[in-house]
Amino acid sequence: MDDHLVGVLCNIGIISFVALSAYVLLLAGEVSFGQQAFFAMGAYAAGMATAVLRWPLAPALLVGALIGALTAAIVGRATLRLTGLYFAMATLAFAEMLRIAFELFVWQVDVDGSLVGPKGTDGFGDIRYLFENEITPAQYMAGVYVLLALVLAGFAAIDRSRFGRMLRQAGADPLLAELQGVSVVRVRLVAAAAAGALAGLGGGLYAHLLTYVEPGNFNIMLGVHSLAYGLIGGLGTVLGPVLGVLIDIGLLESSRLFEGYRMIVFGGLVAVLLIVRPRGLLDERAVHWISSCVKGLAGALAARRLDRSLRRR
Amino acid sequence: MLEIADVATAYGKIEALRGVSLSAGKGRITCLLGPNGAGKTTLMYTIAGILRPRRGSIRLDGQEIAGLTSANIVARGLVLVPENRLVFAQMSVKENLEAGAYQRRDAAGVAQDIERMYARFPRLQERREQLAGTLSGGEQQMLAVARALMSRPRILLMDEPSLGLAPKIIEEVFSIVKDLNRDGVTIFLVEQNAHMALQVAHHFYLMEQGRVTFSGEPGKLAEDEVIQRAYLGAKRAGA
Amino acid sequence: MIDLIQNTLDGAMIGSSYALLALGFTLIFGTMRRLNLAYGPTIMAGAYLGTYAALRLGIGAVPVALLVVAGAALAGLYVERLCFRPFGEGAAITSMISSFAVWMQIEEAATLVLPQHLNAFPPLVAGAPITLGPFFFRLDHLLMLVVAAAAAALVHGVLHHTRFGLGVRTVIDHKRAAELVGVPVMRTLTLAFVLACAIGGLAGFLIAASEAQITPMFGMWATTKGLIAMMLGGLGSLPGAIVGGLALGVIEAHAQWLFGPLVRDLIAWGLLFAVLAFFPGGLLGAREAGQAAALQRRV
Repeated sequence: MDDHLVGVLCNIGIISFVALSAYVLLLAGEVSFGQQAFFAMGAYAAGMATAVLRWPLAPALLVGALIGALTAAIVGRATLRLTGLYFAMATLAFAEMLRIAFELFVWQVDVDGSLVGPKGTDGFGDIRYLFENEITPAQYMAGVYVLLALVLAGFAAIDRSRFGRMLRQAGADPLLAELQGVSVVRVRLVAAAAAGALAGLGGGLYAHLLTYVEPGNFNIMLGVHSLAYGLIGGLGTVLGPVLGVLIDIGLLESSRLFEGYRMIVFGGLVAVLLIVRPRGLLDERAVHWISSCVKGLAGALAARRLDRSLRRR
Repeated sequence: MLEIADVATAYGKIEALRGVSLSAGKGRITCLLGPNGAGKTTLMYTIAGILRPRRGSIRLDGQEIAGLTSANIVARGLVLVPENRLVFAQMSVKENLEAGAYQRRDAAGVAQDIERMYARFPRLQERREQLAGTLSGGEQQMLAVARALMSRPRILLMDEPSLGLAPKIIEEVFSIVKDLNRDGVTIFLVEQNAHMALQVAHHFYLMEQGRVTFSGEPGKLAEDEVIQRAYLGAKRAGA
Repeated sequence: MIDLIQNTLDGAMIGSSYALLALGFTLIFGTMRRLNLAYGPTIMAGAYLGTYAALRLGIGAVPVALLVVAGAALAGLYVERLCFRPFGEGAAITSMISSFAVWMQIEEAATLVLPQHLNAFPPLVAGAPITLGPFFFRLDHLLMLVVAAAAAALVHGVLHHTRFGLGVRTVIDHKRAAELVGVPVMRTLTLAFVLACAIGGLAGFLIAASEAQITPMFGMWATTKGLIAMMLGGLGSLPGAIVGGLALGVIEAHAQWLFGPLVRDLIAWGLLFAVLAFFPGGLLGAREAGQAAALQRRV
């Protein structure tokens, strides 16, 4: 695999985390414009942990995820009473406040004779853990996808659990859920914290891949993109947001097919796609169709196997 | 005046009207009875042009109006007083009346008609600057009727005008219906309150599960059964 | 003290164009019940058309203003057709994401037309500031205030004294009821949308002319400023939009004077966050708050 491809794949995997983060809140019935905030928290926290405090990567990523979760829980407490556009605006306001705070945040420390750490608007460079520890891009990519697979498996597990059911109830009809004894605010708070952790983890991975981040990376563009991925890929399955990222970054940004007017093509494509499929490519109906096809196929295979074994007897 | 033939309307795959035919004669009060979920409101919205019928014809004075926009239908003299009244809650009583005359271009005539509405409904005059959302249920019903009359309709459709009102107010509403009819307005009324409705109607239809199942004149045979079925539906009434 | 008053006056003058920006935004939200993220980029499309014409043809401020307004209205029509008309009221998120997609399109189209990051925009009036006692007034800011106030008054007049305005108000109040009284709802929605973008275009012209420059960031800037002003005043309230715009202008002027531009933006967002967390109805009182609660349920 060439380096360009590895880079692109890494990017797709990492951006999937923040897309999934927005998707979790969509499941809970809230639209967030601000998941980039927790992505930024994770990026700065994990970056500082390895570059300034000289921690190993794993605990640094963990701290990034925890800080993302913690921040999201605190913000969630203040805002989850709100719904719809009000919640979306509150999350955006927080994310922009945080971005500007990072523009003002300087914490530089002398590490082996050179100054390392966040430097306000000039960004935060020299997050060189991968180089220093001779982790190749391919190895890093493998790590990213193992984590992503774990997260997707976690989604599948939660989907079948009691919490998953409460989450769907709270998202579909909060009033009804409340009447059935589901504490909607509490469910949403847990969902927000989990979404914060996902974004934080993604942020940590992002900072180490790029070795340099700046507050401008975490603006409203990233927030709305994360939300859009779910809607493009489809809201019917957890693979929807990942598909959305794949289409945008994999097909359009990286192929250089429409260089110079990629956004015009991408924007038009998304707008038309939403007219044809308002809930994305993999919407509930598509997922149902695919799963019934798979079940049908599995059923046919099982029947054949049964048939064969019977015949053998 | 209003002739409906074989009208079918569906929400997605669910057919709410399955070939409805009925007519409302000029100058008369025609009443449509039926239990909840029979499709009465769907029929009203279909006639008023809010919903599109899948098939069938709706004629007003012999002219086809099925498929026209609601604005066009109002301009042709058919207006609906909807279920739950749907007054403009954030607008004043006077502005609600002005909105009712949206399809008219004669400003002087509109101003005159507003005064006539105040004369007919004195409570509205008292509250003309008040926001419609702050009126009582009975007052909102009066306003909804007055707003509809502002378009100078030849035929007035009313969907459950007694819904959620106190018995005394319901009587008032039905006496207004009678008064309007005496002044020459043709009325096509949907009601759950079969008892009240049959006292004012010249002719009635019974609708069950998307179809007209009975029609007749009040005071004739089988009225008790009709009332029973209108409230409960055929199955539960044991018919 | 003199600085305090001077800043307040400056802020109110800039705020008048924020108010106009929020007025257009609110008109779209009030009628559609959906958020048009492409509102700012729509305005930018008009502004870029104006800049391009000024650059190539050397036309003056008034024709440029007309071009900006017309361009914004036209771009608005495109957004309405692509992102709003095809979806029902229930698809609020879909419309929002779709308008974001169009935002991307317009931003890239703008950079294709004028590839430089920074472009000169023809100023409204040149001339020395007027001094009044210890206070200074920039001529273009004064003109901005006058034009914005006149435009707001015109919008008020249209809404309350024309048949179209009556239709718009009924649609804002209750779409189904508006249909029943015979308002052509679809046409009214489209016209209101285009009118709102034209109002935004005028605001965009006033702002770009007083800055005498324009960048591709203008779209994002206008969407976020319009959003903050709209939400400050209380979502869906037209008088609230004016109050929110003026308040934002004054607060920003003071914050910039005291702490510089970065902290100014921090304070603007912080204020929005605080208002949402503690007074979700916006700055305007009880009636609007009830309306906001009703809207919140519907959004």
